[in-house]
Amino acid sequence: MYQDYAYLIVGLPVLAFVLTIFLGWHLPKGGGFFTVLATFAGFILSFGIFREIYPNNEIVHQSMHWFASFNAGILIDPLAIVMLLMVTFVCTLIHTYALGYMEGDPGMARYFAEAGLFTAAMLGLVFSDNLLQLFIFWELVGLCSYLLIGFWYRKPSAASAAKKAFLVTRVGDVMFLAGIVLLYTNMVKLNLTLPDGAYLLQFQTIYDSLTLIPPDQLTWIAVLLFGGAVGKSGQFPLHVWLPDAMEGPTTVSAMIHAATMVTAGVYLVARMFPLFYAAPNALMVVAYVGGFTALFAATMGLVMFDIKRVLAYSTVSQLGYMMAGLGVGAAVGASAVGVSMFHLIGHSFFKALLFLCAGSVIHAVGTNDMREMGGVLKYMKWTGLTMLAGSLTLAGFPLTTGFFSKDEIIVTAFEHGALGLGWLPYIFAVVAALLTAIYTFRLWFLTFDGEPRSDYHKHESPWIMLGPLVILAIFALFMGMPSQENFYEYVGNNFEHYGVDFEELAVIGGHHVEHGAEVHEPFIIKILPIIIGVGGILIAALFYSRWKRFDSSMITSERDPLRHILLKRYYQNEIYTLWFAEKVVYGIALVSNMIDLKIIDGTVNKISAISVGFGGTLRKVQTGVIQNYLTAIVLGLAVLLILIQLASMGVAI
Amino acid sequence: MIPLVLYVLLASTMFTIGLYGLLTQRNGIKLMMCVEILLNSANINLVAFSAYLPNVNGQVFALFSIALAAAEAGVGFAILIVLYRLYGTIELDNINALRW
Amino acid sequence: MIENAISLMIAIPLIAAVFAFLFGKAAKYVALIGSLVPLVISLQMFQEFDKASNAMQFVESYDWVPAIGVKYTVGVDGIGLPLILLSTIVSVLVVVYSWGESKRSNQFFALLLLNEVGVLGVFTALDFFLFYIFWEVVLIPMFFLIGIWGGPRKDYAAIKFFIYTHVASLIMLLSIFALYFSYRTPEGLRTFDMLTLLGATGDSTMFSPMLLNVIFFGLLFGFLVKMPAVPFHTWLPDAHVEAPTAGSVLLAALLLKMGGYGLFRIVMPMLPNVSENYITLMAIIGVVSIVYGGFLALAQKDLKKMVAYSSVSHMGYVLLGAGALSVLSVQGAMFQQFSHGLITCVLFMSAGTIQHTAGTRIISELGGLADRMPKFAVLMLAGFMASLGLPGMCGFVAEVSVLAGSFASVQPHMQLYVLIVIFGGIAVTAGYHLWSMQKVMFGPILKKYLDLKDPHSYELLSMSILILLIIYFGVQPGTITDIMGVAAEPLVKPFIAMAQTGVI
Repeated sequence: MYQDYAYLIVGLPVLAFVLTIFLGWHLPKGGGFFTVLATFAGFILSFGIFREIYPNNEIVHQSMHWFASFNAGILIDPLAIVMLLMVTFVCTLIHTYALGYMEGDPGMARYFAEAGLFTAAMLGLVFSDNLLQLFIFWELVGLCSYLLIGFWYRKPSAASAAKKAFLVTRVGDVMFLAGIVLLYTNMVKLNLTLPDGAYLLQFQTIYDSLTLIPPDQLTWIAVLLFGGAVGKSGQFPLHVWLPDAMEGPTTVSAMIHAATMVTAGVYLVARMFPLFYAAPNALMVVAYVGGFTALFAATMGLVMFDIKRVLAYSTVSQLGYMMAGLGVGAAVGASAVGVSMFHLIGHSFFKALLFLCAGSVIHAVGTNDMREMGGVLKYMKWTGLTMLAGSLTLAGFPLTTGFFSKDEIIVTAFEHGALGLGWLPYIFAVVAALLTAIYTFRLWFLTFDGEPRSDYHKHESPWIMLGPLVILAIFALFMGMPSQENFYEYVGNNFEHYGVDFEELAVIGGHHVEHGAEVHEPFIIKILPIIIGVGGILIAALFYSRWKRFDSSMITSERDPLRHILLKRYYQNEIYTLWFAEKVVYGIALVSNMIDLKIIDGTVNKISAISVGFGGTLRKVQTGVIQNYLTAIVLGLAVLLILIQLASMGVAI
Repeated sequence: MIPLVLYVLLASTMFTIGLYGLLTQRNGIKLMMCVEILLNSANINLVAFSAYLPNVNGQVFALFSIALAAAEAGVGFAILIVLYRLYGTIELDNINALRW
Repeated sequence: MIENAISLMIAIPLIAAVFAFLFGKAAKYVALIGSLVPLVISLQMFQEFDKASNAMQFVESYDWVPAIGVKYTVGVDGIGLPLILLSTIVSVLVVVYSWGESKRSNQFFALLLLNEVGVLGVFTALDFFLFYIFWEVVLIPMFFLIGIWGGPRKDYAAIKFFIYTHVASLIMLLSIFALYFSYRTPEGLRTFDMLTLLGATGDSTMFSPMLLNVIFFGLLFGFLVKMPAVPFHTWLPDAHVEAPTAGSVLLAALLLKMGGYGLFRIVMPMLPNVSENYITLMAIIGVVSIVYGGFLALAQKDLKKMVAYSSVSHMGYVLLGAGALSVLSVQGAMFQQFSHGLITCVLFMSAGTIQHTAGTRIISELGGLADRMPKFAVLMLAGFMASLGLPGMCGFVAEVSVLAGSFASVQPHMQLYVLIVIFGGIAVTAGYHLWSMQKVMFGPILKKYLDLKDPHSYELLSMSILILLIIYFGVQPGTITDIMGVAAEPLVKPFIAMAQTGVI
């Protein structure tokens, strides 16, 4: 019943967008309730659909012809429904929170319109039934992020952060597009006879033809698609836009970092997992890039002082986990999708929570800089405690959601290593987990513990903001334990609906791993995540809390090159923006312009100059003195007469 | 009867004189005079041939030509007068506003 | 069913142009009516068009100069009809956008209408003689639009535009004559009939391969200059920079399309009979135009010049798609013509509006305009997004069709070309659009612009309609791509027969 209205999941937020943009200016709170209600209705619908399809393990698929050989359609399978539920649920809370947070901003209507469109684009991305449609919504997500990050467009930093976000993700999108084009070409070459209602780029068709496409092509396709995911999900080396993206309102950061946008990349890889699985080299790339990103971003999170920036790097790092979780799927097959998606869902709850808490703090305190905070807990009990909940689960404190999800990824990574596929992802993951616990609690202690380090505003946020925090905190802490086993099974078996045979794909990919092989896990490995989580929190407490025993300057001094590199964020800005964008690309542009003006247009002008010059010489003959012409005529006539005379005399001329 | 060749000789002599003047002179009035000489050399030919072949057409043409020469002279001298007013000279070398 | 729909559609703006010229101040009303009626006719034609057929429809044919085989023959098929729609739509919107033109307004609107006459004629003529006449007719109004209403260097720009494109069309004319004099009908007569002549080019008894290649090159050259493709593009930025906004819009939206139209109508039917090097040549020129044009746009300091170079870049897709010779790519190339026509209108209107409100188009001298011109900023942003290929807007559909179709093509090296475009073109395109948008619209507003406000409602109206059309054709491209697909099939059929794949 609900599934007949599945299109409304996207339709309603779009409607809210239209209503808000035209009517919002005249309504209280910028007409924000349109967006909130539409998103909430989307949640109800998704939940209804979930109730319908979960018991019998069904999927929903509707499709219609679009243009040429492409279609538009809705596909709701386990993978999609968990995303739909999460996105609608978290976005509802974020939008509700924004009703309070954006209060008084003159652009409120614009904010809610764009937020509605953003939500719609993300939902549309999730339930696409073909790759092209997914790409379209993918780009729309990019557009909305551009609009929202640049929401305060009068601020130059916001305007350029928006541009950066769009451009950097665009680089990824270019690869994504190339991947689609390559995949499309290969599909065309197969000369498939498609059943009625099936189209080339539909996921079902793609899954079905994986065995027919040459493996080296599969690898290229997978790597290119992953390129798109790298851009969108802020993986190294295209993660640079993500920390800057917090130039937008905090609610936007919460949306981008938690529920929408960045999860799209992970979702793409999860969605195309059979393809990746058939291309083990690509999967290896995913595992290594993901693992490296997890560690790399965590190191930068350690030294930042901007509260949102720390969270931004933690997002990058956690996304690295999700990618690594998929990448190490070479060891365990499709269940990796369940594991990774579980972390994605859990992460969106606690990351939304953390960002909203940070927003609440910033809203009250009036600064982003943690060096000017301290002791905020005294004045903002609810915010502080909910943030503590979020921090615990991010740090992987035992029995919280984050603990289960991260633990499962680490275990999978261990199997990856134990099966001889490479230990690096595991090492990355473990070290990053330790750093995560440290920087998370460094943030919490610096903000909420100790004494106030500046004269900031001291008041708690209104309940319209605290309400969502409490709900999110409950989910962040306790969602994991009861649901995890069901979740792994439900989502992990997603591809059974399409009859994907992972055994066969393994053969194509040339996996030399026997499936179902038991991996022995030593006891120490089993409890290592607990040790790391708790240990990290303790280390942070020793350096930054009221019980601190050490000063951070004991291990790093101001002049320490390592610290400098971290604070400078590995000089990425210098390399990407100042060197690559401004020197190399703009340099090529200037050279092209020079060539155009001097050589190409120069040639044209030269030709015209030669013509003009030739004419200038030639016109000297035209003296304008009739007598000269007359002389010429008479001479000519004379010559002619002589010739005629000679001819008549029989002289051969 | 004077032989035809003498008429033709006279006419060609006048034509050559007129042509020479037209090519060498720069004064507007002199040019007009040369043109008249050319025309009249043609007239002599016309009349001479007309008398030679008993055909009156040639003389009719000559009369036309004389009338035309008069009209031409009228227009020509009018132009010269205007030029003189504008430039203060009728030396054609000095009148070169339309030249490159 | 309208009798003689095409002749009527061409005649009405012509008559209206005369009236507009005579009417003085009321010229704009005449112009509005004179351009609305053809729009209605073209929509009606679109309704009645048999979308499954690739034959010429609405054909009218009358003897004109029987002695030399000249006829007045007009008709449309899937190649011409979308461009006719584009022309009528854009003509109306340009009149609306120029509603406030006060300098010699009767002549201005008369020239706009005359331009429409020429363009519609080019897109419908089926007789080479007639085609050439309309082709040249278009030059005249544009020459005067640039020369009278243009910027500081208008004389230079007008002459350069005229001579450059005129030389190209003369070379095209030579080719047309070569075709004409090489062919005799079975009855032994000469004819200028386009389809007959093109159909005969496969006949090697009349056309030696050498001659045919020369003819082909002449025609191709004529169209490449008009499109314009690198390296024959340098007249375009000069003309655009000096042209008035309405002139730029017509130039970019309609005149450039004449080159692409010639490509599909005249060049491609000849392709199977000429050296296959030309196919590679077309694709390479397309790729170079896309990438090189993109970098040139990035280097510009003048907003309008940037938009002009972006046109060069976008028209490169037409060449690439045509050269790739798969149904999808050719269809995409045709759709790129249509969609670029709509999108570039918005861009040039934006540049024009900025010019006459802020007084400058130099990007570095502008800043923060969104603060004072919010509605205009939204429209301009939408236009820029469409131009950089945002999905949901028609430019994306066209570009993806071209890229996917070309990649799947069997022509040699196509995959390489597509990869060059994807990696060298797309990100750069996004780059210059976003960069200029940020400089012009965002950031703190400069003090000298504090008094600005949103432009006149007629300017906003015409831009909004364009944006709605862009979105409509981005979501529902099938409305028009279906008939393009039908038209593309016969063009690529000879090549598909040669190789099996590339059939979608």
